Amino acid sequence: MPKDRIANHIRRLRFEHGEMTQQDLANKVGCTRQTIIVLEKERYVPSLSLAFRIARVFGHAIEDVFEFVEEH
Amino acid sequence: MDIVWVGIAVLGCALVILALGRFVWNLRPQREMGGLPVTSLEKLGWVGLAVTSFVGLGLATLVVFEGATGFHEKESSRLIFWALLMSGIGVWAAAWAVIKRRSGETVVDERDRAILARSLSVESVVVLLSLVTWTVTLTEVYWDSGAIPIAYLQLLFWSTLIGGAFGRSLGIVMGYRREISVDA
Repeated sequence: MPKDRIANHIRRLRFEHGEMTQQDLANKVGCTRQTIIVLEKERYVPSLSLAFRIARVFGHAIEDVFEFVEEH
Repeated sequence: MDIVWVGIAVLGCALVILALGRFVWNLRPQREMGGLPVTSLEKLGWVGLAVTSFVGLGLATLVVFEGATGFHEKESSRLIFWALLMSGIGVWAAAWAVIKRRSGETVVDERDRAILARSLSVESVVVLLSLVTWTVTLTEVYWDSGAIPIAYLQLLFWSTLIGGAFGRSLGIVMGYRREISVDA
């Protein structure tokens, strides 16, 4: 059975947005800094609403921030 | 006929040990989850572990020195236990108030809530183990007399309650060392 994962570009987008800190992003989307860290490490898959909030902070569509990767 | 019961008991014990082993294995920390900043809920988990250990050890010490019947009958023993319990709850509540005040805007987020929900499984296992241990031990010890001293009811209740709270705190602390998703 293929193991899927959700990749993301949060770290790159943070730096492209004035080197936004993890704490700043956490405050903007309403989560803890630890959640942002595990998101960047791809050790946590967020809820759809958190994913939308993160995408909105960066002014991107959700699929520009999160990517569905099917691994065979 | 005895051999059948022995066989059932051995098989049952083996199954329980296997299930517990698998459960503990699934709780093992993942290296890549180490070194993260501590969240408010994780801090509260550590406080819960300390408080429940303190109250649990206090209860165990009282029972060792006074015996189960002594603990039930002596008012001084019960007062000491209530003082321990109340101080434990007080410390936990004060810690939560301080943690909440010192943390930023978000105290508990969706990942914290998922970890909190998953910690219920650890609590359930501890509660179940406590009940099984008490039931088997009391049945074996008091089988011949046909009656269990009423003092054990209180001990059973408090130990299970404290054990459950310890399990919940342990589940929270371990939860931060494992991957989780909101649909877990």
